[in-house]
Amino acid sequence: MRRRTLTRRWSFWCLVLLAALALFGGRLFSAPPDAEVAAPFSKPFWLDRSLPPTVTADLTPDAPSAEIPWSWGAPSRFFVAADMVADAPGRTILWTKPGGRTVEIAPLKKGVERDGRDMAFKRALGLPPFADGAASLLDERGTYRLSVDGQGPWEGTVRLRLDGGRWGLFGTDQRGRDIAALFVAGIRVSLLVGIMATLIATALGTTVGLAAGYLGGWFDSAAMRLVDLLLSIPMLPILMALAAIWGKGLWQLVLILSIFSWMGTARTVRAMTLSLRDTAYIEDLRGIGAPTAYILRRHLLPETLPLLLATMTLGVPGAILSEAGLSFLGLSDPRVISWGRMLHEAQTFGTFTAGAWWMLLPPGLGIAVLCLAFLDMGKYLEERTDPRLRGGALS
Amino acid sequence: MRSYWARRVGSSVLILALVLVLNFVLFRMMPGDPVASIVDPKFSPEAKARLMEVYGLDKPMLTQFALYVKSSLSFDFGISFLTGRPVADELRSRVPNTVALLGSSLLLSALLGTWLGIQAARKRGGALERLVLWGGALSYSFPSFFFQLMLLMVFAAAIPIFPLRGSLSVPPPLGGAALFLDYVWHLALPVLSQVLLGFGGWALYVRNLMVKILGEDFILMARGRGLPERRVLRGHAFRMLLPPLLTILLLSLPGVVSGAVLTETVFSLHGVGRFLMEAVTGHDYPAAGASFFLLALLTVASTLASDLLYGVTDPRVRLERGRGR
Amino acid sequence: MIAVRNLSVTYRSSEREKRAVLGVDLAVERGRMVALAGESGSGKSTVLMAIPGLLPATAATSGEILLDGRDLLTCSEAELNAVRWRRIALVPQGAMNSFTPVLTVGRHVEEVLEVHLGLSKREARERIPALFALAGLDGGLAARYPHELSGGQKQRSAIALALACNPEYLLCDEPTTALDVVTQRDIVVTLRRLVDEQGVGMLLVSHDLPLAASVADRLCIMKDGRLVEEGEPRTVVDHPGNPHTRALVGALRELEEAP
Repeated sequence: MRRRTLTRRWSFWCLVLLAALALFGGRLFSAPPDAEVAAPFSKPFWLDRSLPPTVTADLTPDAPSAEIPWSWGAPSRFFVAADMVADAPGRTILWTKPGGRTVEIAPLKKGVERDGRDMAFKRALGLPPFADGAASLLDERGTYRLSVDGQGPWEGTVRLRLDGGRWGLFGTDQRGRDIAALFVAGIRVSLLVGIMATLIATALGTTVGLAAGYLGGWFDSAAMRLVDLLLSIPMLPILMALAAIWGKGLWQLVLILSIFSWMGTARTVRAMTLSLRDTAYIEDLRGIGAPTAYILRRHLLPETLPLLLATMTLGVPGAILSEAGLSFLGLSDPRVISWGRMLHEAQTFGTFTAGAWWMLLPPGLGIAVLCLAFLDMGKYLEERTDPRLRGGALS
Repeated sequence: MRSYWARRVGSSVLILALVLVLNFVLFRMMPGDPVASIVDPKFSPEAKARLMEVYGLDKPMLTQFALYVKSSLSFDFGISFLTGRPVADELRSRVPNTVALLGSSLLLSALLGTWLGIQAARKRGGALERLVLWGGALSYSFPSFFFQLMLLMVFAAAIPIFPLRGSLSVPPPLGGAALFLDYVWHLALPVLSQVLLGFGGWALYVRNLMVKILGEDFILMARGRGLPERRVLRGHAFRMLLPPLLTILLLSLPGVVSGAVLTETVFSLHGVGRFLMEAVTGHDYPAAGASFFLLALLTVASTLASDLLYGVTDPRVRLERGRGR
Repeated sequence: MIAVRNLSVTYRSSEREKRAVLGVDLAVERGRMVALAGESGSGKSTVLMAIPGLLPATAATSGEILLDGRDLLTCSEAELNAVRWRRIALVPQGAMNSFTPVLTVGRHVEEVLEVHLGLSKREARERIPALFALAGLDGGLAARYPHELSGGQKQRSAIALALACNPEYLLCDEPTTALDVVTQRDIVVTLRRLVDEQGVGMLLVSHDLPLAASVADRLCIMKDGRLVEEGEPRTVVDHPGNPHTRALVGALRELEEAP
């Protein structure tokens, strides 16, 4: 029989990778995840090679010019902004075309901005009102140059952005945010909610299960009646109502989810406690007068622990899916980026009219893979505690 | 025997009463002024007070509660804050759509799942069993709304075979047959998605039950009596599968309402699920209260019905349950 | 006649192989009762279940099982179904869950009558009282569900079910275990009467040596998958040739002589 070790499981490495991304993934991106980095609905960079990419360049006093090789059609937007401490009289921002012809973009002043779609800018360039500013500025293939020209001191940054319609690994959403960055930020929410909600639910379920199984009597029947009741009511509508009443914060969500997912654990723990309660050694302990709390904590709890770990892991997908469902319905904090929220926005803000399927795939597959990984990990832990289950679903 | 049923019915009534109280209290705890959503800030205080009176919000809490219970029990749920129409009318126009969606998808996925589960249990280790195991795992871990969004993306946006949204075309076609076909056309993708997501869970459940049943002595003995394989499967194995299967089918009814909320939101269907969702987010208590009351009624009724059906289909239960619990 | 020739059975699983039966020869004739005794795990039940082809798929068999000269081991499932119950019926172990729990015992009898004898539902129902009487039971019990019967009643129902199609041979696997002593006697007497009055050929598998010796016409003893002793019951018990049998009989004597 093949020995199954933890490191041979795909789900283990998958979870390690996702956890690492959740912790350090933010460093892969220069901008924060909610910053606008490119045109809305930009495609992933690998998708359509004929589309121009999104190009950015920063000019500083140390590097007062930047070269931009360009071999595509016109970008959808030409945008220059100066982030200055003070005006710099005598200096101008210049755009040099491959042929050597120069165009003066703007004098270098504090807070100056030029957009190819701007009427005043088009008039300054001598273009008719319906012409495309970006198209006239980038009408050749070759190397363009943006520079700060003239005399005098200046301090600050001049930023150029050419919106080509392609951006990053996964493209951008309806607000021009980087989907890859949002995806990485979403891992954290899913993991946090999934694990925290299950942890609290497990603690709650274990306490109730231990007490019900060991004490028996009215407490047991009352607790089990409550479990039956909670198991029979449909979850999502209740969660929706609670989210509407308590507010949409992340911690409220964790609490709501845990209140409605401890029942399974309580049942399992109760059953185990019942079978252990009447074993000889527990009876001996009782006989020599060990206090109930001591027996529960030092003897019954450790016995149930391995099984508990497995049930806990198997419970995580449920919490993740519930969080995603609520966020998808718009019942989550709009300031918190999560995979469910991404799908909500994708549906609300015209993914279909824009055909932007790349807004759906990363968060959706993210949820599915994360849940499958926890499911597989749970199955592995279950097999470890109960070898009879070997050869299960996803091995 | 009789006392068992008396207790079951008694606890159901108790649960319903509890739901009524919770409903009443919860929706009065929601943040925000209840009339704020329907009252324009420019309204005069008198006009506002008149509206409060129309909705009965000016009376003492206890009176409000008594009125609430009375009207809930007579299915008169008041007037929706959001639409200004009676909630009962709103629900009446939506319930058939939700029943059509959930009924057809539950039936289809249970049938497909049961058939696949039985076949998988008969031929263990085959390709079909692997399909069932994976299908089951996926239906427990795949976010339904994502799957549905992808289906929409592919079969409604990219390749426009199915409509993007709604329960009927706008304007709806004339003529009974054309109207019916249009309705089915709008329902096809939602139902298909629910079946594809749901059959795996059923198949896995049936397969596990069936593997256990097929390993029992009485199946070996039925074979030993020279009964044809079909008779062993239908007359004995399936007959044993039936009680738990019917129970789960009934018990899953309230749960699939959760599915309706998401499905109707994704496909913009005119149903109870989306109504509930809009009522909850829009602080529309009459509407939300009515939806929750109906949901509780459905839960209690399906639990009672499943107990009853188990008693009818499994003779062993009649005795055991009468004695114990 | 059922003739078992040089039968060997091996259970195979992915981890190991277990040889359950090794080169067993056995013959059961009509109107005679052969008892197969031995301790549990000796392979006697495997021999019995091998005859109607009811061993699990993990069992590999070799040898021959001849029913009037036709080898049952090479028969297809459909051919076996024609033999099962019409010619060779089974009375399973008392502890076995042999009735489908959601069907009445009467329904089980009706079903085999319908399938094998082509009777209508009404005709089948009319035959039940007589069959139940043959097994020493009241016909009214046919309307009961298996869990509503006592152990003895269940065992007698199993006998009635086995007799339904008037079989030539009856294979009884520990028909009296888990029953009290009085009921055991009654059932054994019923079985003996079937052999004498109906001319049934019977194979009785039991771990109860004195019971087997007292009722059978021929006694075979198995140990570790082999047949170690065969003969007239009195001869086997009084003059055991094999050391294992001697030990078995010796243990019995001590029990009997104990106060």
